Amino acid sequence: MGNSDAGKQTAGTGHKPDWTAILSESVTRMSPARLARNPVMFIVEMAFIVVAIMAADPTLIPLVSSQAQQAFYVYVAVILLLTVWFSTLSDSVAEAQVRSTASSLKQIEQEVQAKRLDSDRHVSPVSSKSLRKGDIIRVEKGERVPIDSVVLEGIAMVDESLLTGESAPVRKAPTDMLIGGSTLVSDALVAQVSVDPGETYLSKLINMVESSARPKTPNEAAISVLLLGLTAIFTVVMVSILWLSVTLSLGVDLSVLIALYVCLLPTTIGALLPAIGISGINRMSANRIIAKSGKAIETAGDTDAILLDKTGTITLGNRVATDFIPLGGHSAKEVGEAAFMSSWYDDTPEGRSIMNLAYELGCVPREFRSISRAEATEFSASTRKSGLKLARPGLFLFPKGGKTVLQRSRVRKKYAAVKEQGPELDISKGAPDAIAQSVRSVPEGFDEMVQEISSSGDTPMAITVNNEVVGLIRLKDQLKPGIRDKINAVKVMGITPVMITGDQPLTAKSIASEVGIDDYVSRAKPETKMEVVKREQASAKIVAMIGDGTNDAPALAAADVGLAMASGTMAAKEAANMVDLESNPAKIIDVVMLGKQLLMTRGAVTTFSVANDVAKYFAIVPVMFSSLPALGAINVLGLPPQTTVLAALIFNAAVIPALIPLALRGARFKPQGTMSIFLKNALTYGLGGVVLPFIGIEAIGQFIRLL
Amino acid sequence: MLSLPQLLWIAMIWAIIIAGAWLLAKYLFNVYTGKRSRLDRFLEPVERTIYRLIGVDPSVQMTGREYFVAVLLFSVFATALCFAILVLQGYLPFNPQHFTGMRWDTALNTAISFSTNTNLQHYAGESTLSYMSQMAAIQFEQFVSAAVGICVAVAVFRGFSGRFKGIGNFYYDFVRSITRVLLPMAVIAALVLVSAGVPQTLGGYVTASTIGGGAQTLAVGPVASLVSIMQLGTNGGGYYGANSANPFQNPTPFTNWLEIALMLILVTSMPFLFGRMVGNAREGRTLLIAAYVIYGINIAIAFAGATTLAAGMETGLGAFSSTFWTVTATSTMTGSANAALSAFNPLVILAALFGMFIQAAPGGIGVGMVYMLLYVVLTVFIVGLMVGRTPEYLGVKILPKDIKNAVIGFVAHPILIMVPLALAFSVGAVSATGVGTGPTGFTQVLYEFTSAAANNGSDFMGVAANTVFFNVSTAVVMWLGRFIGIAVMLVIADSMLHRQRVAQTGLRTDNLVFVAVLVISIIILTVLTFFPVLVLGPILSSLQGLGTI
Repeated sequence: MGNSDAGKQTAGTGHKPDWTAILSESVTRMSPARLARNPVMFIVEMAFIVVAIMAADPTLIPLVSSQAQQAFYVYVAVILLLTVWFSTLSDSVAEAQVRSTASSLKQIEQEVQAKRLDSDRHVSPVSSKSLRKGDIIRVEKGERVPIDSVVLEGIAMVDESLLTGESAPVRKAPTDMLIGGSTLVSDALVAQVSVDPGETYLSKLINMVESSARPKTPNEAAISVLLLGLTAIFTVVMVSILWLSVTLSLGVDLSVLIALYVCLLPTTIGALLPAIGISGINRMSANRIIAKSGKAIETAGDTDAILLDKTGTITLGNRVATDFIPLGGHSAKEVGEAAFMSSWYDDTPEGRSIMNLAYELGCVPREFRSISRAEATEFSASTRKSGLKLARPGLFLFPKGGKTVLQRSRVRKKYAAVKEQGPELDISKGAPDAIAQSVRSVPEGFDEMVQEISSSGDTPMAITVNNEVVGLIRLKDQLKPGIRDKINAVKVMGITPVMITGDQPLTAKSIASEVGIDDYVSRAKPETKMEVVKREQASAKIVAMIGDGTNDAPALAAADVGLAMASGTMAAKEAANMVDLESNPAKIIDVVMLGKQLLMTRGAVTTFSVANDVAKYFAIVPVMFSSLPALGAINVLGLPPQTTVLAALIFNAAVIPALIPLALRGARFKPQGTMSIFLKNALTYGLGGVVLPFIGIEAIGQFIRLL
Repeated sequence: MLSLPQLLWIAMIWAIIIAGAWLLAKYLFNVYTGKRSRLDRFLEPVERTIYRLIGVDPSVQMTGREYFVAVLLFSVFATALCFAILVLQGYLPFNPQHFTGMRWDTALNTAISFSTNTNLQHYAGESTLSYMSQMAAIQFEQFVSAAVGICVAVAVFRGFSGRFKGIGNFYYDFVRSITRVLLPMAVIAALVLVSAGVPQTLGGYVTASTIGGGAQTLAVGPVASLVSIMQLGTNGGGYYGANSANPFQNPTPFTNWLEIALMLILVTSMPFLFGRMVGNAREGRTLLIAAYVIYGINIAIAFAGATTLAAGMETGLGAFSSTFWTVTATSTMTGSANAALSAFNPLVILAALFGMFIQAAPGGIGVGMVYMLLYVVLTVFIVGLMVGRTPEYLGVKILPKDIKNAVIGFVAHPILIMVPLALAFSVGAVSATGVGTGPTGFTQVLYEFTSAAANNGSDFMGVAANTVFFNVSTAVVMWLGRFIGIAVMLVIADSMLHRQRVAQTGLRTDNLVFVAVLVISIIILTVLTFFPVLVLGPILSSLQGLGTI
């Protein structure tokens, strides 16, 4: 049941928020039983009930209320109720966002018909839900992959856009991972199911999204404790003021006292804290990253060092030939032609790039295609070179137009030499050190050139014709677009990037310095990552890394933040605490930034919330002790008493919806040094938090006066 | 307003004290880290004897809980001893004036007052206490309560530092605090005071004939020895009811400034000691600067209004030194006085209250720095998140349980002040003492409980508070005010000790930016908590244009 229509809709972004549902949800959340989970807002609701009673009949609460103020009590009650509603609204909006992500993901996960192969390869149609780990399935063109599995047979193009957002189909061959929910766009595959239903990536992603509100992360828990503490302090202050007022006949009106109390309570952060956490998870899932816990996201923000694999993270992974360098008196064209032939059977991207370069430079031996007998020399670990053997070397050595390049006498000489050696022409290419071992002597300038290419960050490859080195190929590593900026951003934030590569030291050094990395490890072996993780952790750093192979699993488990590629092995994904469905290793940097943003947003709103209280004190206290006219001197706002109280309450309530967008998208920040970020945020949210309410309350107060 | 010479004078006094404290911290570091010293030859046998007598092994590392229990049990013991002496002084020797035993509630209040380093005095010493009580009860407690304060600080420092095996052993710290720090320093200070004219005798009170021909009894006694430890240990409980406004306790400008220096020296050395113990002098310096900035702000508030004092309200040293003394005594939790508080401008009282609300600028001996660390934990947590990292201090991540403990420590203070304040007015205990219900009376009662909760001992009600209600209520407040803060900080320190330390890449806590952030957040937290009661007390007095409180 290949539902290709669903493919037009990318998960997570497709749904419009259902405002009626959000509104009704926000209202039902206002029931005291549900609100009790958020102590601050629960108290506000209780305060509303008290003021509502006063509004209904002031005589019910004597001593601290007056008949003349009944209209005022109604206003206060309404604003208190609005405050509670704004809080539940922000929760509802955040959760609606999550639900829309989850439901679009669920659409992909829906049950499909699958073809299970029995032991005698007989196909039986079953539901995708009944597939179990180890089952063999067959998927054909146009069909949806029913569940996560590993390709056993066949090669096919698979559209994973629903899951990864990447529109170009991906080629899948044996041992590759298939993600449930992706669609075959060509051929057919036989694959083995690798998980039981409910444990697929998709269901894990949905799970993460849906459970995002539940367990409090350590930071959230600590903030909650702080909020409770502040609430306790203000409760003590208010109760003792009420008590003193009654004893000393200070004439404090309960509604004003309650207004002050509610204004002082950390309502802003109290209301937005759940939404901030939910939106953090949501932004992760929008990036197609499955975090195994909310804690993992926070830890990502704490990262001190990131281990980056050179290939795939910093460079595109495919090296490209850019230059043919002749040695020992040979011409560049000669080298190009030899290189072209040596790559004839080389199907790797590098090989193809060598042939492309030869085409571009016009180094294709003219009659090469008519070679009747050519035999591939396969790459072997012992010789570390590959190439081909030709039976008719003459055609190669006398290409048309070659005369301008090759001196006749030299060609003759060479031809003679070839003849002497036999009819075969043996062309091969390989790593310079491997080649140097296999030939009797290297031409003059060989070592220097190899050195030079390596130190400019490129990879040299030597070309031999009949065991004589004719020249070198320069293979250039291509940096991923934008990687330099990303690494720079990481560095200014005080995080150390560590590059890991199997390249030789010179190449590694050059690439590292090109992107601005000071710390790199070259000639890396499979166990190197683990060593680096241990080394960094020993210097008390929080380490983030990516990995995909089984080799990486121990290091992924040891690292504080381990991001596994969905295309990687099972072991790697089990060991990591996050999985990237797009299998883009450079995303580790985004993960770290997301974690930072999450923490920053919480800190910003907390600071803002506490700083706001200063202005509210100055606004309300002079009004509260209205029986003490001398206090008029500290009434800096100069508004009529009741207007001040209402304005402060309205400001207090209005800040919550005003900050919902900030909570949902996170505090914006430019990658800067810790101190600059701190100063900027401290000024914006700290100082701004002190000043803004003065302006806001005054403005609202003047507006109320006009009415 | 302060004149330029006065500002320079303050700057000079502070510079001398800070330099002395820096030197002292070096010595203290050696004392508490057990470095070999030339004094060992004389002191080690003494110390070993003490350990053997009380039957403890000073090398055993205590957990935070064990350390706290040791502190608590010791304080219970000291309180009981003091209580017994005060009640039974009529039957005990060294009582030339034949004073009778103290009333039970005054004795309870006094015993707790001195064992908690508060020194709130609901009695006038010279007309109530025998020499035995002054020395064996009062002076003994002034030594041990100061030592307990230092011990707690050192234990907390060890925990925050993480460079030590554990948070230490209470008995080891305690004995060394007495033998190597407080006793030698107090002896030297007492000798200087005696040479400057402070009496020190065990003979009876002296009767002198005055110029007018009449006879006057001069209350003398072992004054110098008590004054030295009372200031040094930020105790503040004087020999006389008038405290250092009595010319025998504070005869000259020299003794006046010497006593101010004594109040500040050990307290000021604590941040330096902290810096040494955590292995980063800058961290200690930052906290010292923060404490002095707040102390300076208090001084500025105090001098913002008119500072002339009515005649007969002080020792004749002038309004400048009296005001400076008062702010210093309340900022350091010493609480000693060289003038009557009722003589001051409301702003001076406001500054004094502020010092006692904050308790950490620079605060009481040892405990002041402990409260500063509590503020640091709260501040780092609130603002540290804004750099996008889990807040950490000295490389230790701040966990929910730390916030829980710090919040308990912080919330306890306003509860201990405001609940008894409202209670005192509502049950009529205030009107029973004859204190009014206007802003002045309100301030007096607020001051009483603030002083008790902060273990300051500065006293605005004096013997008027010698009622059962105030004796018992302030005793409870002093006890809880002392031990809640100590308990939570020992718990935090203990848990930090074993926690993994990470590279410090978050918010830096050793520079002037952090000083600013810390100072602002301490002030905001304090104002948010106490603004309403300040408004009803000193702020109202000031706005009503009252010249004095």
